[in-house]
Amino acid sequence: MGAVRHITSSPSRRDVLRGGALALAAMAGASVSGCASGADDGAAAGGPVTIELWHGQTDVGREAIERLVADFERAHPDIKIDTGGGVLADAMLQKVTAALAAGSYPDIAYIFGSDLANVARSPQVVDLTDMMSSGPTPWTDYWAPARAAVTLGDKIKAAPALLDSLAVVCNKKVFSAAGVDLPKEGWTWQEFTETAKRLTDKGSGTFGTGWPGTGDEDTVWRMWPLIWDLGGDVIAPGGREIGFATTGERALEVVRTLVGDASVYVDPKPGSEQMYKVFLAGRMGMVITGPWQLPDIVGAEIDYHVVPLPSFSGKPITISGPDTWTVFDNGEARVKAARTFLAWLMQPEQDVRWDVEAGSLPLSKRTQSLPAWSKQVEKTEGLSVFVKTLETARVRPNDPAYPHVSKALGEAVVAVLLGKSTPAEALSACAAKANTALRVPR
Amino acid sequence: MSRLPTPITVADRAPERPGKPSARRPEHRPRRGLTLRRHEAVTAWAFVSPAVLIIIGLSVVPVVWSLLLSFQADDLVTPSVWVGLDNYRALAEDPGFGQAVRNTLLYTALYVPLSVGLGLALALVLNRRIRLVGLYRTLFFVPFIISATVQGTLFSFILDPEFGAANSVLHALGISPQGFLSDPAQALFVLVGITLWSGTGFCVVVYLAALQDVPPSLIEAARLDGAGRWHLLRHITLPTLAPISVFLVLWQTISALQVFDLVYVTTKGGPLGATTVIVYFIWEQAFKNFAAGYGAAAAYVLALALLVVGVGLRAVRSRERRRLEGATS
Repeated sequence: MGAVRHITSSPSRRDVLRGGALALAAMAGASVSGCASGADDGAAAGGPVTIELWHGQTDVGREAIERLVADFERAHPDIKIDTGGGVLADAMLQKVTAALAAGSYPDIAYIFGSDLANVARSPQVVDLTDMMSSGPTPWTDYWAPARAAVTLGDKIKAAPALLDSLAVVCNKKVFSAAGVDLPKEGWTWQEFTETAKRLTDKGSGTFGTGWPGTGDEDTVWRMWPLIWDLGGDVIAPGGREIGFATTGERALEVVRTLVGDASVYVDPKPGSEQMYKVFLAGRMGMVITGPWQLPDIVGAEIDYHVVPLPSFSGKPITISGPDTWTVFDNGEARVKAARTFLAWLMQPEQDVRWDVEAGSLPLSKRTQSLPAWSKQVEKTEGLSVFVKTLETARVRPNDPAYPHVSKALGEAVVAVLLGKSTPAEALSACAAKANTALRVPR
Repeated sequence: MSRLPTPITVADRAPERPGKPSARRPEHRPRRGLTLRRHEAVTAWAFVSPAVLIIIGLSVVPVVWSLLLSFQADDLVTPSVWVGLDNYRALAEDPGFGQAVRNTLLYTALYVPLSVGLGLALALVLNRRIRLVGLYRTLFFVPFIISATVQGTLFSFILDPEFGAANSVLHALGISPQGFLSDPAQALFVLVGITLWSGTGFCVVVYLAALQDVPPSLIEAARLDGAGRWHLLRHITLPTLAPISVFLVLWQTISALQVFDLVYVTTKGGPLGATTVIVYFIWEQAFKNFAAGYGAAAAYVLALALLVVGVGLRAVRSRERRRLEGATS
């Protein structure tokens, strides 16, 4: 955030010191590069190659990836992995963009699937098509959403890193207190809104459900399963218009019903942490979430039940938002090392450890069949429901204009959540904005 | 850069006798002096060059680079395309930028007079000999040293519409719950309130320091002439504080036009763009919408506005000074 301000204000002391170091490094780099270009990849000297990994993880995720990296380094003494750089995944896009602009970028970064289309426009992003199609696990053995998230056109531009899907987690205690039966697979959005209404209890401050209210991607991606179910799409064929001009209104009606019944907690803070806190505190009956939330729910000792998302049509459908490991080109030796590491990381033996420890769903069916995963499914209530939904999960399109569509729909959802617009008004404002953005040549 | 300082060095190794200038060969003097001076200039530049490099690298280059960026369509990822003034034309037509400008101006128009006015009032009160005045002064200054991120998080908790302390207090008073930061009609005013809580302390401290410089003799003379408290304030204190007031207005205006971190932490520009200020707009363009060139153009519009404010206030101040000098001479 300082970068923008510093355009107009004077740099702070820390920036000056950091900049001084950079300037010196740049001067040193300039003098060195003349005689030994590419020497920094370590290969020329015959020593181990060091690659930089920006994993973006915190807490359990960081511990899991660091343990895996340590094991990899033991098995591959010729490759060293530096995991010290980067930022948390939420801010990774900004950091990687700045790094690319500066010409000093990591070898592997954890990029959200919805950002990949824009990042992959960089010529520095390494094409992984050959590596993926010739790996020990056949490419078709990976879950369809995992494959779709990293495929742009006919090229595989990244490796799937984490797989998830949305389903509804119910707090059994809230349901029994309200005398409401737990929902079953195949339920409808109408049943969802009715259940939410019955679970709401103003007196005890209990909400039927929750929705992130800042208009960011977390507000938006919950809408796509409704739109897909109604036959709509994110972007219409041809790419010049939104694909939900006719179906969006009915999807937004669901949100409006929740607001009208006062059965939805609208989280006003960025990050949606507050919404999950309300659920964990036993003040929310149902929350639409992914498998990553289960460890916290188990930790809060909540007696819970997981059901697939409701639908309009009765056909099961959900959204998956896979994250990716994107590789950047820092010279042949480092690209080779990065490929070696990712190929190793994606194999079922490693994938299952990552899934169990960091809360991902198995990337491939081969991982799913391992005993370690079966044990995890037995141990964790509802995990099997999330895995099963992968069969009907879709992913957002890899389109560089997606952030604009997402922003416009985010504003529409917030306008309805705050009761400022009707679904029809919100949708027409959204269509005007998003269509303008879609017509900009990219 | 101004002239380099004269180094304190021995001018010549050969001992000079001040009483005998004729002992030197006059034809050698200018040439030797020139070599020496050049030598000293080289040494001096060697000493200042790290600082010069840092200033050029961190101030001049980014300013020029972002100016060039503002004439390009650049997403920081792919090679850029020169588009001339297109980014600026698009800005003029962008309703999002218009809203950001309106929000920023409203924020500034509220924050600057309120913080400076409140700061002056509190400083006048705290300038008296009252018990525990040191404690009060500290308490007013404490919020200023809290970072904007911490303030944002703190107030997000207090002002949470469902579970916050503010609404439970209002409930106890029989007032209906408010949306605060989640209500588009209130959010910007709530942000002004939060920054006033922290920013007023700075004005208080600066005014308190300035109040020590009001000449006691002038006050005494005015008192003898029968001036009351209001007249003392109007004709003695306020004119003496005028340069400080100009400084504070300039300073607070610049910080108000640049507000970003609080917005980033509390509302992310929402709800419905109600708190999207210019710097947040720039950040959003550059790092969320992959339109760095467009963002740079918006940044230059802001920089130009800041320049106009700065130069304008400087002109006002120098005219004031001339007027005062004219009056006293």
